[in-house]
Amino acid sequence: MRMFATIAKLLVKRVLTAIPILLLVSALLFCILRILPVDPAAMSLPPNATVQEIEAMRTEMGLNLPLYQQYGIWLNKLFHGDIGRSIHFRQNVTSLIGSTLPATIELAVIAMMVATVFGLAGGLFLFYVRGTRAEAVMDFVSILLLSLPEFLWSLFLLLIFGVFFEVLPFTGRLSPGFERPLVTGFLLLDSLITGNIPTFLNALQHMILPCLALGIALSPSLMRVLRSSLLDAYQDDYIQQARLRGLSEKRILIRHGLKNAILPTLSLMGVQFGFLFGGTLLVEIIYSYPGMGNLMVDAIRNADLPIIQGAGLTYCVAVLVISIVVDSLYLILNPKLRVR
Amino acid sequence: MTFEIDRRNLLQMLGLAAVSGSVLSQASFAFAQGTDSVTIGWPSDVPSWDPNLRFVPDAQPLFKMVFDQPLDQSPDLKLIGNLITKWELKPDGLSMPFEIRSDVKFHNGDPMTMEDFKYTFVDRIKSGLKLDIANSWRTLTDIEILSPTSGVMKFSAPTPTAPQWLAFLGSYLVPKKYIESVGPEEFAKKPVGTGPYKLVDYQMNSRIVLERNDAYFGTKPKIKRVTIDIIKDPSARTAAIQSGQVDLTVNIPVREAERLGKTEGLTAEINPFTRLILLQMRNDKGFTDMAVRLAAHHAIDKAALSKAFYGGAAVPLSVPATPGTPGYLPDYKFAYDPELSKKLLADAGYTADKPATFTLAATNGQFPSDFDIARALVQMWQKVGLKVELQQIEYSKYFELNRGGQLPEATLYSFDNATGDPEIFSGYLMNPKMPFGAWKGPEIGDKILKLFVEPVYEKRIAGYKAVAQEAVETGANIPILQSVQTLVRKKSLNYVKYGNAWVLGSTMSWS
Repeated sequence: MRMFATIAKLLVKRVLTAIPILLLVSALLFCILRILPVDPAAMSLPPNATVQEIEAMRTEMGLNLPLYQQYGIWLNKLFHGDIGRSIHFRQNVTSLIGSTLPATIELAVIAMMVATVFGLAGGLFLFYVRGTRAEAVMDFVSILLLSLPEFLWSLFLLLIFGVFFEVLPFTGRLSPGFERPLVTGFLLLDSLITGNIPTFLNALQHMILPCLALGIALSPSLMRVLRSSLLDAYQDDYIQQARLRGLSEKRILIRHGLKNAILPTLSLMGVQFGFLFGGTLLVEIIYSYPGMGNLMVDAIRNADLPIIQGAGLTYCVAVLVISIVVDSLYLILNPKLRVR
Repeated sequence: MTFEIDRRNLLQMLGLAAVSGSVLSQASFAFAQGTDSVTIGWPSDVPSWDPNLRFVPDAQPLFKMVFDQPLDQSPDLKLIGNLITKWELKPDGLSMPFEIRSDVKFHNGDPMTMEDFKYTFVDRIKSGLKLDIANSWRTLTDIEILSPTSGVMKFSAPTPTAPQWLAFLGSYLVPKKYIESVGPEEFAKKPVGTGPYKLVDYQMNSRIVLERNDAYFGTKPKIKRVTIDIIKDPSARTAAIQSGQVDLTVNIPVREAERLGKTEGLTAEINPFTRLILLQMRNDKGFTDMAVRLAAHHAIDKAALSKAFYGGAAVPLSVPATPGTPGYLPDYKFAYDPELSKKLLADAGYTADKPATFTLAATNGQFPSDFDIARALVQMWQKVGLKVELQQIEYSKYFELNRGGQLPEATLYSFDNATGDPEIFSGYLMNPKMPFGAWKGPEIGDKILKLFVEPVYEKRIAGYKAVAQEAVETGANIPILQSVQTLVRKKSLNYVKYGNAWVLGSTMSWS
């Protein structure tokens, strides 16, 4: 009961803190994008528009007003759920983000799961082989994995499994001919809700390569942090006492060592998930994955400021939500924090 | 402490492997395709399924499969009838009577009428919707309906390229009745055209699925289902054609196209098309002196650039028009002559101690090898004694800088003109009132402005030829190369090659 009360208190506190953060981020985003030497009015018209037409559009878009007034108008619309209208797509930004966000969330969550599995397994293995020759080899492997960015992993995996072995698809979310159920926008979830198992399996296949690319790139840092945390934990007395009590090494590791060592890894996972959420751009482009990263690349290429602003705010909200979830998990896993 | 694999661990691992294997084993159907369908790997998506909304050259082949244009172009770019069967621009260029087909139906079964024409080109624009076609049809005041199949387009000023614009960017016929009943937003979600294919599934930035329109008025497509995979990354497009996930793709690196052309079952082409690679020139700053501009032009080895970056397939140009288009001058050649460059600079008083200097702006990734070409240009200029600073700019910044008069002396630029008409080459590039070119000199500008309202076709074309040559000879424009499209396809897949790089599923067939 006390745990839930503490978590609820934390949630309220974090939500209240999030409001000024969001306001500050929105103001920064707005100002930075307005300072950029691109003209949204000109970009919203075809290249053969006259100077007069561009000026008229500038007035219509309110770009001739002082910056603080423009921000005020934008903020007012934001509070009414209107992020703006895309310059390039001429569609509501909210609906564009709404239609692409689930794909990116699905990608980021599964990639994080891959990173967690590889990171935890690798960390445990690194710990197991400490002091042996295998440790040096594993160290080398983890540094190698760490030094390759996700887009190189994307190309590498695509060439191996897509071109060389031809066992996995690497374009889009589904192969041609598969029905695309539309319930929540989360394809895996929707195909399960509608009982469409072939679509589910096909969608899962399409996610293997992008998720592996993202997950493998994130896992080495998790491995290394977990290994260090375990080494620290094993210096504590309770491990020695557990051994004296005759517990098996496996039980000591899982029940005592890992439980205490996981907290720093969890923090890192929270930070990484935030980065991952905003860092899927290149992977989405390489795998033709129709998520928010792909939309963002279009927006940057076309100087579509309303989308860039909307996506920037969405990333900010996502990072805040992730940090709240991680803090809550911290409270659940670490009783000492609840006492404080 | 030892790491042991016990029976339980082993069983767990086997279970995991079995699940993974069952998922992977389903992979084969990802590559399946029949002779009644084709999958195309295309580099960009449509901005919206409302075809009047935005001008995006690479999206035109996608629109052309779902919608029809009033006029069409043959593979050699001649204007041909389509929804409009007869048209005649009056000698004053102020009106154009036309006749339409009576047997055309939209995908929802509604017949195409003159009302749809008036709605698309007049009423929709006047309704205040932000449509890009409003800018191409700003002189169109009305379409007078004379009968169910005939009408007259009326212009406020002579509009000599009205027929060309009826087959160009954004000029697609849309259904009045349907749009008025569902609204423009819903129309963009579920588009209805008259084209050879119907849109059956669309996922933005990922896939377009089209199915043959069996009630199509024109030649029925041989392929029933066309799937277009939007693959923006050139490496992924290369991998997709190599692995057989797509049957045809375009715009992959030249070297990759040449490599894939040697692969069994594939064939590759490097096709020049109606896109120019040129240098936009200023008439002031470091380029005030004509001698410097001409020296810069004579120093460019265009054939070497073509060989280095486009496998020699990009045609070196001497005028801002592509071969085979009306404004091209096949017998005119601007010489590559570095010695003449040096002489021009020496005669103008420039020496090694006091070199002519200027800045070149270029995009990086806007068109294939753009920044590499810019770097090569700087080296060529250095050899003749020109001191050049290279500046990288974003494409979206080009118009902004140009409008503010902030472009440097030279800008490497790519200009697309699917019609091939010289107004949209030399005219747009040299018109001082338009945002495409940096040259604001009145001598050429005045001539161009007169040609914009010249209704007599032959006179107009002759005028553009003369002004294009003058622009090159005065250093107002430096055309470099005709751009190329790389295309790789399965050998058994046939398609019709268009001079403007359209790749249409409706022209494809399997052999």
